Order: sequence, then C-alpha cells, then structure tokens
Amino acid sequence: MTTWASRVGPGTVPREEIAEAAVRAFFAAYQAHDVERMVDLCTDNAGFRYVPFEVWSRQRVLYGEGKVRTVGKVIWTTLLDAFPDLANVVTSLRGDEAGNVAAEVRIGGTQAKDFGNVAASGGRYQLPHLFLFSVTGDGLIDDIVAYWDEAGWKQQLGCVEVD
Amino acid sequence: MQAGDVAGILGMTTPEATVFLVPLNRQGPWAADGASYLRELSRAFPDLLVRVRRLFVTGDNTAVAEITVDGTQADAFLAVANQEKHFDLDQAWMLTVTPDDRISAVIAYWDQNQLYRRLGVRRLDKITITAG
Repeated sequence: MTTWASRVGPGTVPREEIAEAAVRAFFAAYQAHDVERMVDLCTDNAGFRYVPFEVWSRQRVLYGEGKVRTVGKVIWTTLLDAFPDLANVVTSLRGDEAGNVAAEVRIGGTQAKDFGNVAASGGRYQLPHLFLFSVTGDGLIDDIVAYWDEAGWKQQLGCVEVD
Repeated sequence: MQAGDVAGILGMTTPEATVFLVPLNRQGPWAADGASYLRELSRAFPDLLVRVRRLFVTGDNTAVAEITVDGTQADAFLAVANQEKHFDLDQAWMLTVTPDDRISAVIAYWDQNQLYRRLGVRRLDKITITAG
C-alpha cells in the first residue's frame, strides 16, 4: 500500500519521495553551510540525536541529544566553525511510505579550531555516516539520528584519547 | 544474534551475502567476516542482549534497525583485555533482503570510541591497556 501526500507540486506525490526530497534539501543546505536553512527544513519541535556525541568531563557528561533548534543548531554551527571546508556526499538514500529515510553520507573537512576535546592540528577527516530521519507528510524533518565512528574520526585528526 | 546462534544467522543469509562493519573497516563475505565477528562477540559477551529500538523497511527492501547491544565482558574482545565491565552500545544495521526473504547484505554502524569507553580503554593507540 502506498501512502500519498499532496504538498509538493501538482497532483499527488508518494510520501517517500517527499521525505527523500526533504533529506536531499537538508544535505544541500549542510553542503552550503546554511544552518538556518537546515533548521527551517525541520519542524519546530524536531528531535535530534547524534549517538556518538558524548563529551565526558569530571563533573558531567554532555550528550548530543535534544531538539534540532537547540542542541542540533549549536552542534552544526560549532562544527562548521571548526571545520570551515566541511563537505558532504550522499552515497545512498532510501525511504519508506511512513516518512522514514536512511541516508549514508560521507562527511569530511579540515580542522581549523578546537572541537570538543579534539585540539586543532590542521588534520583532515573523511568518514562514513548513517543518518536516520523521520519526515512529516508535509515534507518537514521531525527527527534526526546519526551514527558514525568517533574513534576513526579522532584518529584521523591526530587525537588518541578516548575522552 | 542474542542467542549467539551464528549458524542460525548464516541460514538466514544468501551464500553470496556481504557484510560491511563500518567502524572496524571490515568488509567481505558474510559467511567469513560477519560470522567471525558474531562468534567473537558472543564468546566475549556470553550474556549478550540485543534490543531492537526502531525498525523500518524501505522501498528497496532494506530493513533498517536501531538496536542496543549490551553485555558483560568475559574474555578479550577486539584486543581489549577483559575487566568484566558491562557495556551498552547503540548501533544501526541495514539489512538488504531478497524477494525470498534472505539477507543478501549487511551494513552496520556504531561508535567504537563508545565501546572502548565502556570497556575501560583510555587511549586509541593503546587499546590493550585499560583503566582499572
């Protein structure tokens, strides 16, 4: 059974096409370093979780989990500031009729500023990521979850500390 | 997977099935690379629990699963010495399924840094040395 929605363009558009278009627009905005656009492509209350993002200190642990408009926006802005040539390539994109989308994305960049506990040494990284999205029938992203290997990321940037 | 039934899992896959364990950069035949990883995992964590947190199937018949794996270390794992530490780790697996319901490809993502942290590893260049 196909679920249909009709927001984009004339006639009816399958929901998975709407969802995949939203995700492609998101990564185009990311490629353009347009954080406001990335946020605008999401619902007001969109969820956000970067699973590997854990910053451990003696007093507390910060997790990359919350809302796009608070935690997500801050992380994207900080990341783009630390990696000013950050670029992404979507290597696979697949969706379902309920608005779920899985996107495999290669992300890389050169470190110009400290980020978290990784000091800037001019290192460059290139890493496969898996993003999982939920997209509404109106074509707005309602949830973002991302997985990648932080150990590989740190090693490429010359950091050997687990924390 | 939770039962450590590697032979049973092999029975669900096509003979040519492939696997890509992204954080390990281990890519090859499921029957060799996938099976050896699962054997190593179930040997090192005999009380392994696998919980599916989210599952959806995309239009090209790929099952996308977010899972949480947890267990208590009972033997060395991926060169990490056993300290009997408990770990829990969120992962995402993508399983390509054929029309006759057999798995033909597996891609798995997780963060190896989180695994090392849970198992007491302090440095990525000395993973055999763990904290007390």
